[in-house]
Amino acid sequence: MRAYVCQRLLIAGVTLLGMSLLLFVLMRLAPGNITDVIFESAGYVDEADRHRLEAELGVDRPVIVQYTRWLADLGRGDLGKSYRYDLPAWEVIRPRLPVTVELAVLSLVFSVLLGVPTGVISAVRRGRPLDYALRVLSLAGLSMPSFWLGMIVILLLVRSLGLIPSMTYVSPFDDLRANLFQFLLPALAVGYRSSALIMRITRSAMLEVLREDYIRTAWAKGQREGSVVWRHALKNASLPVVTLIGIEFAFLIGGLVVTETVFNLPGVARYLVDAIQFRDYPIVQNLAMLIAVVVVLANLAVDLLYSWLDPRITYGGA
Amino acid sequence: MSRPRPLRPLLTLPLLSVLLLTAPLPAQTPKYGGVLVTSPLSATPSLSPHEESTIATVQQASPCFNNLLYFDPARKQESADTLIPELAEKWSWQDSYRNLVFLLRRDVKWHDGKPFTSQDVKYTFDTVRGAPDARAKLKVNPRKLWYENVEAIEAPDPYTVVFRLKHPQPSLLLMLASGYSSVYPAHVPLAELKNRCVGTGPFKLKDNKPGELVEYVRNPDYFVKGRPYLDGIKFVVIRDRSTQIAALQSGQLDVAGSGWNKTNAENARAGAPKLVIVEADSNVNDNVLINFKRAPFTDARVRRAINLALDRKAYLVGPRQGAATFGGALLPKPAGVWGLPAAEVAKLPGMGDPGQQKADARKLLAEAGFGPGNPLKLTVSTRALAIYVDTASWMVDQLQQVGIEATLEQIETGVWHPKMTRLEYQVALNLTGIGIDDPDAQLFENYHCGSQRNFSGYCSEAIDRLMVQQSQTLDPARRLALVNEIDRKLQADGARPILGWAKQYYVRWPAVKNWAVHDNSIYNVSRRQDVWLDK
Repeated sequence: MRAYVCQRLLIAGVTLLGMSLLLFVLMRLAPGNITDVIFESAGYVDEADRHRLEAELGVDRPVIVQYTRWLADLGRGDLGKSYRYDLPAWEVIRPRLPVTVELAVLSLVFSVLLGVPTGVISAVRRGRPLDYALRVLSLAGLSMPSFWLGMIVILLLVRSLGLIPSMTYVSPFDDLRANLFQFLLPALAVGYRSSALIMRITRSAMLEVLREDYIRTAWAKGQREGSVVWRHALKNASLPVVTLIGIEFAFLIGGLVVTETVFNLPGVARYLVDAIQFRDYPIVQNLAMLIAVVVVLANLAVDLLYSWLDPRITYGGA
Repeated sequence: MSRPRPLRPLLTLPLLSVLLLTAPLPAQTPKYGGVLVTSPLSATPSLSPHEESTIATVQQASPCFNNLLYFDPARKQESADTLIPELAEKWSWQDSYRNLVFLLRRDVKWHDGKPFTSQDVKYTFDTVRGAPDARAKLKVNPRKLWYENVEAIEAPDPYTVVFRLKHPQPSLLLMLASGYSSVYPAHVPLAELKNRCVGTGPFKLKDNKPGELVEYVRNPDYFVKGRPYLDGIKFVVIRDRSTQIAALQSGQLDVAGSGWNKTNAENARAGAPKLVIVEADSNVNDNVLINFKRAPFTDARVRRAINLALDRKAYLVGPRQGAATFGGALLPKPAGVWGLPAAEVAKLPGMGDPGQQKADARKLLAEAGFGPGNPLKLTVSTRALAIYVDTASWMVDQLQQVGIEATLEQIETGVWHPKMTRLEYQVALNLTGIGIDDPDAQLFENYHCGSQRNFSGYCSEAIDRLMVQQSQTLDPARRLALVNEIDRKLQADGARPILGWAKQYYVRWPAVKNWAVHDNSIYNVSRRQDVWLDK
């Protein structure tokens, strides 16, 4: 097992290195650099000042020099400085992390709580009205973009109750109730879409497992429905579901741009888009790398979970 | 004995009623307290107005700073007659308008407690004008051009400052009153001011979360006694327009509307009928850039054909939804001070009968060698923002109506100005906001040969000479005549044809009082020390 984890971590390192190179090159392929953007906001370009600024920020150096310098800094834990705000990158990124993590976790919790039971019920009641109703519900979740759903919920709340979640971030340590009200709606909007995915995967995995011989045996032994479905069938049907949850979590860390925008949540995803627009290389590179690390680690965690869920799966002779 | 007048009571009552109804209501007594929450146009790149050129910075930094002088917020039109003192108690022109002398207030402290002196003024404007002996240098200096005529700044004592000019320039006072001309503390490094505002203004910085929030609290030591009324101001950056509207309707915002059009304002009020819409003119214009350095636009007939093809009345009802005024290079009266008279505006290219003008455009194109067999093909470039793209799409349609094969190119907003500065376009649709309604600011920045913001590459030495002449003219009437003469020539040359001057819309709850809006500038009215909440 340890050898397997080490091997996976090594592969993860190589993946991240490749990712860093790709990211670095792609950012430099986009037209304009930070100095263009700085002068864009000034409404003019002074070429002499621009060259001076390029030298000051180091963006006039060969790309390979910039790249190796960034990696070396990263290795030392130095994320550099935001070009746009002239502040240490970590200082700008840090307050945004809890916002996105909270939204992603709440969305995921909601999607699992809704998606798994409805998937199981839909499979068990296959072909019955409840199955059809749940499938329609899940199809609706897949069809509606979460930001659109969020916008509709906001408009309905304003029209009917005259209130919407706070437009400025409320920390759970300052006011838990206000924080939950602020995150509940976006989490529901995002979680509904994810729950639809989870429901469909759970349903199809369950249908497959419910046809297995050992399930038939369990029924024949006279075990109760709850025990057969939730204990025997669901555990064995959960591998693809867990895979999906891992992928969804990774997606939620970086993919909540529009939801964060609609609900005005100062998270990392929305900030990443801003940083790309302003060619704030240190922010883009470090945030994208952070998201890449989360994706890689989430996948690793899912793989490790497999062996716990299904003892037949072993890694590297462990 | 007087004659009996039986009808007198009957006549007196209605007269009294009319008098009572038309008499001005007693002004409400302002209330202290409350935090005003508003949403700016966008996040500000920094809190340093001298380094930025966006209204977002002016909106969010102005409550922290003061100028030497400012435009009276209560007067809708900004001009030399509406200047009021701020850090300067008095000012006077001396030595035949070659020296501008300011006598400063003695009771002003910076937010960190240090005293304000003439050294701060000298430091600020030496830095902005890029003086050789300046103690600091701005990384980006968008308004250096404004102070080119300043030869030296002297601080003979702690409360006197003298601006020595190369030649008389009445506009300098107005430039110093702009929202971009805050006075900086000499004892705080420039780099720190980008994120940590230390000013003398009515509000002190409480919190700055770059890209998200700027929050101020009342400055208890503010030198204007009894001000500000508010306990604080909070600028919450809300990127999504629909969310902004919902936040206003729900009462989370007290006032909003920066960058809104008429439809946005009306949509907001449709959901909350008590909201008040404030409409005003503005010194932001939609203009057409025709690249003077690139064939076939070097041909005056081609430029004029393009100008004639763009039917201004269709522009007004189309992309601007009825919310704009027509004019030349300077904002027309009554909102503006220096614009062409209405009768002349009505005769500008694009203002006449659309059918006739389009026929004239076709004729000019034919004379220049373009026609059905050899159509003029061009690209209309614009910034990839809805407010630009709407008008540019309309332009493409108008040009196609005279046989020009026009296509639209959207340029990413981050590289828009660099591309325009380098003249990397054929024809473009641009928006220009002018810091102050003043000929020096508008003409030198956008039409002078070699100016970094002269995006069309237009250059006329004769016009440049006239620009210098008007800049030094002290008599306002004579100066206006010169400015109008320049404007006429610019319009005739098709130098950056103006489609129209946009109107602005603010929407506020009735409880927000004294939220001033100016008709001829959006940039110089954001101090907000007089705003109060009737809650």
